[in-house]
Amino acid sequence: MEKIIELKNITKEYDGEKVLDNINLDIYDKEFVTILGPSGCGKTTTLRIIGGFEMPDEGDCIFDGKRINDVPAYRRHVNTVFQKYALFPHLNVFENIAFALRLQKVPEREIVTRVQEMLELVALKGFEHKKVTYLSGGQQQRVAIARALINQPRVLLLDEPLGALDLKLRKDMQKELKNIQTRTGITFIYVTHDQEEALTMSDTVVVMSEGRIQQIGTPTDIYNEPVNAFVADFIGESNILDGVMIKDRLARFAGKDFVCVDGGFDPNEPVDVVVRPEDVDFVDVEKGMLTGTVTSVNFKGVHYEFIVDINGFKWMIQSTDFVEEGREIGLYIEPDAIHIMKKSEYSGLYGDYSSYSDELDELSNADDVEE
Amino acid sequence: MRKKSFMSSLVAVPHMVWCALFIVAPLLFVIYYSFTNTEGSFTLDNLTRLSDYGDTFLLSVEMSIIATFFAFLVGYPFAYFMARQSETGRKICMILLMLPMWTNLLIRTYSMMAILDDGGFLNSVLAWIGLGPVHIVGTKGAVIFGMAYDFFPYMVLPIYTAISKIDNRLMEAAQDLGCNGRRVLTRVVLPLSKSGIISGITMVFVPSISTFYISQKLGGGTFELIGDTIERQFQVPSTYNIGAMISLVMMILILISVAVMNRFSESED
Ligand SMILES: Nc1ncnc2c1ncn2[C@@H]1O[C@H](COP(=O)(O)OP(=O)(O)OP(=O)(O)O)[C@@H](O)[C@H]1O
Ligand SMILES: [Mg+2]
Repeated sequence: MEKIIELKNITKEYDGEKVLDNINLDIYDKEFVTILGPSGCGKTTTLRIIGGFEMPDEGDCIFDGKRINDVPAYRRHVNTVFQKYALFPHLNVFENIAFALRLQKVPEREIVTRVQEMLELVALKGFEHKKVTYLSGGQQQRVAIARALINQPRVLLLDEPLGALDLKLRKDMQKELKNIQTRTGITFIYVTHDQEEALTMSDTVVVMSEGRIQQIGTPTDIYNEPVNAFVADFIGESNILDGVMIKDRLARFAGKDFVCVDGGFDPNEPVDVVVRPEDVDFVDVEKGMLTGTVTSVNFKGVHYEFIVDINGFKWMIQSTDFVEEGREIGLYIEPDAIHIMKKSEYSGLYGDYSSYSDELDELSNADDVEE
Repeated sequence: MRKKSFMSSLVAVPHMVWCALFIVAPLLFVIYYSFTNTEGSFTLDNLTRLSDYGDTFLLSVEMSIIATFFAFLVGYPFAYFMARQSETGRKICMILLMLPMWTNLLIRTYSMMAILDDGGFLNSVLAWIGLGPVHIVGTKGAVIFGMAYDFFPYMVLPIYTAISKIDNRLMEAAQDLGCNGRRVLTRVVLPLSKSGIISGITMVFVPSISTFYISQKLGGGTFELIGDTIERQFQVPSTYNIGAMISLVMMILILISVAVMNRFSESED
């Protein structure tokens, strides 16, 4: 596979504040790349730099091996699906989709065929003469996608395209988008702050925080091998413990020594240890590597979610077995379920569930206030 | 309940009296005079005599159209520029635009005359740099300039309002799909500000076609517009009737053109 876009040492400041800090990212042809991160971390800004709506303060944006920093948006082989669609209200569905072709003075007959193809692709046949303002959110979204795709761009940028849709429609549209991407072979750069969306759709996930890229990898890599506490916490649920790497394949945390599969650290180096909630098994107290007390139980449909107090540190554990609140229980962890990470600036900030139920309470209180 | 609605209609009485007194009554007078002669008996003579004023009418239409066109030509870019400024920039533009409006129209036109006159400020400057003097006051150009200048803010304000309502993302979307700056303007900004353009055109054209003061002062009395004609008829009682008829026809024509313009903006909105 060949590189289609390279971002090299991109830095961007607004009002003296660094919004992007030395971004380096290679994007390959026909890839589905997702940029994932919390609100305000610089996802949209990154996309706008690729789209040509924003100039980086430092660094280069390379397209097909050529530097395109100075190429205006309208001359880039990149199209965008904007966050709130941005359909032209003075044009109907057909004319919105045909917009780019009309600019290129494509013959009328070809326009009609290509718009029809697009309408078919996004399942909007028969809507061509509707006013776009009368369409539902999902339909507007699909018009926006068709409008951006008709130009047959090399790269399609999508900025939280499903953000405004309800859960059911979002799931359907995720499948549809993935289908479209596979069928057309266009490189997708997709921005979202929904980690599940990122994991299910992408070939590559780019995790960002505070203007910096934290990790680039396949969804499995990102989930199984997070590089630091931020990524481990942001992607899925994690128990993150303070530990020491005694030697290769032996870690100490929660007051015990554990055999693990990681190595390459200095002897007795302080580390962060990640254990995913679904990787912990309940066993009898005497067989457990650790023992703890169940302090809360939540039914989640497929499984139960427990908060277990182990020597004062609250773990989250997911299991299909039911254990009642207040019970003393033994815990067992497989060596390959223990993931060791270097200490980072995010150490100690995440991965403790002691305030978990309080947080939920606060959230629901906040909702009450808003209503 | 009933009592309250009675009370509230009572409150509206002064307004209704006001309307009757100052809108409906004059209108009825105009209609009455239009279809009577000096003795007060019914006649259609005034209608047939209208053709005498055909040339004046056409000249008025022509000059108002040219004035409106120039007001638009300058007003649209001004409004566009203004809408793209920061908050303070917009305020400054707004003040520059509105400041002349705080002066009475007559005084404004009078000072315009002082500036453009043969011995006026502009000609002194032109003479000084060796380009003049240029005879301006008394030409059609001066009158057209006066119309466009006096009613300029009426062109800019509705267009400015319409442009500032356009979502910036639409312009970015247009660029994204291949529009350079000029095409963003013609394909997105112009069509989306159409309602503002139509109000602007109406609000400059209507006062221009019925003006009499501007043509008298800046035209230097060398030609007459339909507004001047109407004014002249009302200076002697013997010509009230034909004056009323011209006014009535003008009014109807203006109403029709406004209605057509509105239809125009609704049909594609
Ligand atoms: N035009 C601008 N002027 C000043 N600050 C800006 C501008 N655009 C973005 N920012 C700031 O840059 C930071 C990153 O913004 P950005 O829109 O890229 O975030 P994001 O990751 O897309 O967030 P979200 O998920 O909420 O959309 C934010 O702190 C934002 O306030
Ligand atoms: Mg964003």
